[in-house]
Amino acid sequence: MQKTETVSARAGRLGNGLLSILNALGITPLGLALIILLAILPFIPPFDREDLLRWLVGAALIAAQAIAFDFTTGYINVVNFGFAAFLGFGAYTSALLAVDFGISPWIGMFVGALASGGLGFFTGVLTLRLRGIFAAVMAWFVGLALLGLARNLVDITRGPMGLSVPTFLETASNRPYFYIILVMLLITYLVLRWITSSHIGLAFKAIGQNIEAARASGVNPTFYRVFNFTVQCAFAGWLGGFYAHYYGILTPQLMHTSHTVEVLAIAYVGGRGSIWGGAFIAFPFIFFIEWLRSSLTSLPGLHLVIYGLLLILVMIFYPGGVAQFYYWIADRVGKARRGSAEQSG
Amino acid sequence: MARSSVQSTIVFEVLRRLTTAAGITIILSVVAVIVSAVVAGPFTLVNAIVTGGMWALLAVGLSLVFGVMNIPNFAHGEFFMVGTLVSYLVFTPLHKYLRQNPSSVLSTVAPFAGIFAALLVGALLGVVVEKLIFFQLRRRSREQWVMNSFLLTVGLSVVMINGHQLLWGTNFKGIPRYWDVKPIDLFGVNISMDRAVALGLAVVTIAIFWFFLMRTRTGRAIRAVAQDETGAQMVGIDLNRIQVLTMALSSALAAMAGASLLFMFPSYPTVGLKPLYVAWYVVILVGLGNVAGATIGGFLVALLQTLTSYFIGVGWEDVVPTALIILILLFKPSGLFGSEVKGVWEQ
Amino acid sequence: MLLEVKGLNAGYGFLQVLWDVSLYVAQGEFVALVGPNGAGKTTTLRTIAGLIPPRQGEIFFKGELISKLAAHKISQMGISFVSESLNLFTAMSVHENLLLGAYVVRDRQKQLETLDFVYHLFPRLKERRNQLAGTLSGGERKMLAIGRGMMSNPDLLLVDEPSLGLAPNLTLDVFNALETLRQQGVTILLVEQNVNTTLHITDRAYVLEQGRIALEGKSKELLENKHVKEAFLGM
Ligand SMILES: Nc1ncnc2c1ncn2[C@@H]1O[C@H](COP(=O)(O)OP(=O)(O)OP(=O)(O)O)[C@@H](O)[C@H]1O
Ligand SMILES: [Mg+2]
Repeated sequence: MQKTETVSARAGRLGNGLLSILNALGITPLGLALIILLAILPFIPPFDREDLLRWLVGAALIAAQAIAFDFTTGYINVVNFGFAAFLGFGAYTSALLAVDFGISPWIGMFVGALASGGLGFFTGVLTLRLRGIFAAVMAWFVGLALLGLARNLVDITRGPMGLSVPTFLETASNRPYFYIILVMLLITYLVLRWITSSHIGLAFKAIGQNIEAARASGVNPTFYRVFNFTVQCAFAGWLGGFYAHYYGILTPQLMHTSHTVEVLAIAYVGGRGSIWGGAFIAFPFIFFIEWLRSSLTSLPGLHLVIYGLLLILVMIFYPGGVAQFYYWIADRVGKARRGSAEQSG
Repeated sequence: MARSSVQSTIVFEVLRRLTTAAGITIILSVVAVIVSAVVAGPFTLVNAIVTGGMWALLAVGLSLVFGVMNIPNFAHGEFFMVGTLVSYLVFTPLHKYLRQNPSSVLSTVAPFAGIFAALLVGALLGVVVEKLIFFQLRRRSREQWVMNSFLLTVGLSVVMINGHQLLWGTNFKGIPRYWDVKPIDLFGVNISMDRAVALGLAVVTIAIFWFFLMRTRTGRAIRAVAQDETGAQMVGIDLNRIQVLTMALSSALAAMAGASLLFMFPSYPTVGLKPLYVAWYVVILVGLGNVAGATIGGFLVALLQTLTSYFIGVGWEDVVPTALIILILLFKPSGLFGSEVKGVWEQ
Repeated sequence: MLLEVKGLNAGYGFLQVLWDVSLYVAQGEFVALVGPNGAGKTTTLRTIAGLIPPRQGEIFFKGELISKLAAHKISQMGISFVSESLNLFTAMSVHENLLLGAYVVRDRQKQLETLDFVYHLFPRLKERRNQLAGTLSGGERKMLAIGRGMMSNPDLLLVDEPSLGLAPNLTLDVFNALETLRQQGVTILLVEQNVNTTLHITDRAYVLEQGRIALEGKSKELLENKHVKEAFLGM
């Protein structure tokens, strides 16, 4: 009997197997389609133009940062307001290793991740006893201190003059870089999504909602908070390494709060606690903003005003962001399908 | 006999207070003041005290808004920026007019017109922000209020900074001084009129504000809302009114600080960032919601900054205070003066 | 009728607590609302005070519809609510708490008169007038809360479990104070666990069970009621 199994049935089984693997990884069929679209986009005009490729790289970099940001904000409910500084710390670590010791960027970026992770560990311990907003402000202060160091230790960082950094590749094309950052984006998503969908994610959400109640039910807030901070900062540092070796120039400006605000806005508009929301929205968002910036050069600052307004409007009227909208639609579609299935069956 | 025992309890009490964290800090800063006056020259000290007064104004407003409305205001520095801008826009044409038509009365009054206009616009903007933004969120949801309102202020800050850039550009809009008069000679130290007035304004404003908060019916109502919102409603206090008033006061104070310091801080889009950092340093240092502590803290942080930039170098004046505050909080998480007032809506 | 509640439904979020509750309090009456834990007594008072919006039903005070008014408006109309959790201003002195109780009274003379009356009623509060409310003992806090509620010269006083957590002799003090108020002509709606004492000092009473009015009548008659005896008086 088994030998007579049709090809289509076998294909179907294969497809189901693939689907269940994807499901385990946390990728929906729609998500897979989007990833494939992103992977072929650099060959589809007009996205094969170098300037648009640059936007694509920028968007993917922001998307990965938004994921890392949401990992903390959306779960343990602490805004790491010094996020950009941790990114910058990783970037400078990797850059200085390359500049001063000739260490390959491919290794340097992981050392940068370790360094940022270590600093994140320290910050996590520091903010442990502080609640909500106090922890956010404390992380911000750590970020400001780092920014100040980067600005003032001119002998090491060259300060505001900028540090020129060797790039990953010796090509002028942006396309290979896009694939590097796309892979990094996917790894960021898969790892953080894997952590948050395990029992650890549950513990995160528990201490995010109510620390005391979580403690009472046996969740150790100390461990999970520090763990969360460490992982987030390690990813930030890693992505910072890409930033350094892609743009080839590093200034303390990267660590500025306004950069944190940018990531924060995208993560929130995307939908907190969803992991994917910010990454999803980053691409259209960055393209829109870049387009606005390049076409409205006579109105500098307008795109950022829109940024701010959007954040305010979303926070007031639709705090769940795009992710909530997606779940709402999915729910509607699911209901409609079930309804029609009942009718026909 | 009885008298001496009373005296000894007083001495004891003073000793006890001086050995608390707050007391030790104050002693250390008094020592620092004396040392720096001797080493760095009295002028540094004057600068520290003048900016300190304005930092105190900022910190008091920030602290008040957190205490009463539970909003950690990230856009507080932007009201400082608005203050610099308004005062510049009002004062510069007046000054130009005065060049052609000198008048001693008007030239004394013109700076005050600028500062007063800033105060008014600041208050008005505070009302608008409360009505248009915070009230809207409060009406819809109070879940995770502290965090959500914080994010609203982040958005507001981005809008205000870039709104300034959009409408007035990024160039420095400043003035060399408000008053074209000889500096005041105080114990052999020359203090410019601008600095003297800024300090005077800060002291007077803080005194009036203190009286208002502690002794008047409305001031008491503001404190009541900070301590127990439900209780305040139960005795007949209109929360909305108090919230609007608090936001107006806080923004007016910040704008006034900006206007008074226009000669040191020319107006440009991100001029509010530094005052924002400082206000937060102060407020975290003394404990959120602690208005009295914020006054002292303002001077402390200004002193710390001045000493840092004198002894370590310009550019370090943010790094050192931050590092120090982080250290202090490691050992005293509730802030130096350990405030009793907690956010009503904190989780 | 001073207070009239008609067909009130109220609750929190998805949870409905009160079901079709109707009651009234006439001018000068001393009325009790008793019932087991979780019956919704506190919820009833909170709804009347305007701290929770009613879902259905109407509340009239002095003939005016108040169920849509904000809490501070209701307080301004003459209803004082002494809540279970007291809601004192803990970082302010006893004196300041009392002054805030008179927030809606603009007449300074009147304020001072009432203040004297409250200090006369609770001499302990006078002794401790400069102490912070947060450092008072449990009994003193209760007195302060009642005193603060009195400061606005209310037409109706809603009191929620004044005896909760108090030693018997202090409970007696508090009840005596309520008696005095009542003799002064203040109308009181009292929620209490201490059913026996309550039914002895009040005129009328309502028994609330699982969010519904189960019984109502003269307090003396309820004392004799079989159900009340079994459920609350342990007889
Ligand atoms: N803020 C709230 N949110 C959700 N549910 C609440 C809230 N307050 C009370 N409840 C619920 O409403 C019901 C009635 O509570 P309520 O406090 O009115 O009872 P009560 O009669 O005053 O009880 P007790 O005698 O214990 O004070 C209870 O089941 C309680 O769990
Ligand atoms: Mg109750």
